[in-house]
Amino acid sequence: MDVRLIEQTCKQTPLYDVCVSILKSDSRSSKADVTGLALIMVDVLKAKATGTTNYIKTLLRGNLKGDVRRGLSSCADLYNTVLEADIPVAIEALQKGDPKFAEQAANDAGIEARSCESSFSGHSPLTESNKSVQDVSSVAAAIVR
Amino acid sequence: MAISPAWLVFCFLFLGHGVVELEASHQVYRDLKLSSSPPEHQPYRTSFHFQPPKNWINDPNGPMIYRGLYHLLYQYNTKGATWGNIVWAHSTSTDLVNWTPHEPAIYPSQTSDINGCWSGSTTILPWGTPVILYTGIDPQNRQVQNMAMPKNLSDPYLREWVKSPKNPLMAPTAANQINVSSFRDPTTAWLGPDGSWRLIVGSKRYSRGLAILYRSKDFFHWVKSQHPLHSAEGTGMWECPDFFPVLINSKLGVDTSTMGPDVKYVLKLSLDDTKHDYYTVGTYNIDKDIYIPDKGQVDGDSGLRYDYGKFYASKTFFDSAKNRRILWGWINESSSVNDDIKKGWAGIQAIPRALWLDISQKQLVQWPIREIEKLRGNEVRLPKQVLKGGFSFEVSGVTASQADVEVSFGISELAKAEVLDPSWKNPQALCSKKGALVDGSLGPFGVLALASKGMQEYTAVFFRIFKGHDKYVVLMCSDQSRSSLNNNNDKTTYGAFLNVDPVREKLSLRCLIDHSIVESFGGEGKVCISARVYPTLAIDDKAHLHVFNNGTQNVQITALSAWSMKKARIY
Repeated sequence: MDVRLIEQTCKQTPLYDVCVSILKSDSRSSKADVTGLALIMVDVLKAKATGTTNYIKTLLRGNLKGDVRRGLSSCADLYNTVLEADIPVAIEALQKGDPKFAEQAANDAGIEARSCESSFSGHSPLTESNKSVQDVSSVAAAIVR
Repeated sequence: MAISPAWLVFCFLFLGHGVVELEASHQVYRDLKLSSSPPEHQPYRTSFHFQPPKNWINDPNGPMIYRGLYHLLYQYNTKGATWGNIVWAHSTSTDLVNWTPHEPAIYPSQTSDINGCWSGSTTILPWGTPVILYTGIDPQNRQVQNMAMPKNLSDPYLREWVKSPKNPLMAPTAANQINVSSFRDPTTAWLGPDGSWRLIVGSKRYSRGLAILYRSKDFFHWVKSQHPLHSAEGTGMWECPDFFPVLINSKLGVDTSTMGPDVKYVLKLSLDDTKHDYYTVGTYNIDKDIYIPDKGQVDGDSGLRYDYGKFYASKTFFDSAKNRRILWGWINESSSVNDDIKKGWAGIQAIPRALWLDISQKQLVQWPIREIEKLRGNEVRLPKQVLKGGFSFEVSGVTASQADVEVSFGISELAKAEVLDPSWKNPQALCSKKGALVDGSLGPFGVLALASKGMQEYTAVFFRIFKGHDKYVVLMCSDQSRSSLNNNNDKTTYGAFLNVDPVREKLSLRCLIDHSIVESFGGEGKVCISARVYPTLAIDDKAHLHVFNNGTQNVQITALSAWSMKKARIY
């Protein structure tokens, strides 16, 4: 594992610790160049978005107040965008070599997560998930940069 | 029409073994019906800017004029409102304002472009045939350069294109050491006095942006030059390069191959890192085949930009019918991807602009093509008047969401200008810090576009005048911070210093307002700023237009005209 490359790359992101802990614990990073590290981070972003989507589905099965239900439905839609649009665009852009589209897609994932958090007028059941997605999205966008 | 020997040789070379490679069936790309229809309520679609009925667009490609008909091709996703599945969509026009769409001209069909048909340019060969060179993505995801030619030159719409079986004509190899992911966007070629064609392809090595130079005698065999046409350390990947001559002391354009004492040269780059288009003015040493920016020109993101707002991947072409150099630019959305998917489209083209060298020879000037003025409806002309400090008034009588407004300001109390702090070097940061609501002495004064009745939403385009070291400094800003109540939008403020002397000249501002875009021109085109905005209240007939002065000093409005704009027929 090229620890130096990971550390150098992560230094250019706004959340060094998050970046390093994710990359060091992923075995794929041993063979990765910077584009490879970006793809790993996008994959982690995908996993977090998938996890949040599943959690939303679980919550929606329960007995909920109207405004919470509305917020969750809104979030389901926003996270669908992350999974169906942002992630595939980021991967294709990185693989084919047009990084600006990957950067914008990674950034957008953070915007959708932030928008989800604002969908709740009262208490949000997704604060931790949304924050996690926003963090990884800002790291991914910075690595692509 | 006599067939020139050169043309015959060209066709032979193109066909190679005499077999024309037919297009693979492209049923995937014709299935436009697959994508669902966008929603009915579309408050943000533009009425006189180029955009297709739906889906994603990006870079303008290969613009040209052929037999009196203008062609615009562009990166287009046949399947959705995000980047992907890119083909070259195609439209034609007699006036650059109203358009007729055609089937996509270029789409993946060969090994050398099976994974994507990215951007490129048209070169009109000496006998009048247009040839397209473009970047293809091959099966290994390498960026390579390919050629396409019209299938039928007697079709003025040039609807069908065939590709050379020799593609790719330029590719990264171990020998040339070109990075496979950093080699794209071939330019229009120019013919040197030695009979060789030249073109450049955007690239980088580590963080040094490069314009890789290729030469060819026959337009098929391209040899990479040892040295790039130009490069600059620390600028990152150079996308969509554009290299062309401009006449000194004239607003007319010239053919890309023009040389001599009457022209200077412009090299423009799209910077992948910052998503800004910047350019330098300089000289072209044809013997050494290198471009040298003039002294004082800045190579990089803090240099001169075509547009200080949203404007990227731009490309010029020589309009031989009217002897103009015309600039196209892609303006993407400032909304979230979720919003783009909901509305079913993303991306528009800027209004085409005529481009010429300023008399100072230090910068370019742009102005919307005159043809756009045919869309102007009733003119509202207001008399000269003083706009007192702290006052504003509404410009009524025009459709404020679809308008063209020109206003000119005169200043008499220049001595009262605030002093410019020498540390305020970044105009965008200065505009962000001193938005439309921050008062000042001379300014902010300008236009409030797409304003809601209660002023909860508006886009402010304005000037501030400062006292500099030895002259007055004019700052032009486009402030989107209150453009929309929807916080998912990118509401970044834009700004630039405008090189106009308020002692001797009027300060002019023109804004083309079109539902979700405010395209502003300061100083008769010395500074252009395009902004995308998505008001939730200031929509259609609920939008208002004002002229305002939030400074403490009065300003004179020496001229003010506004027109409703008619809808163009774009498709």
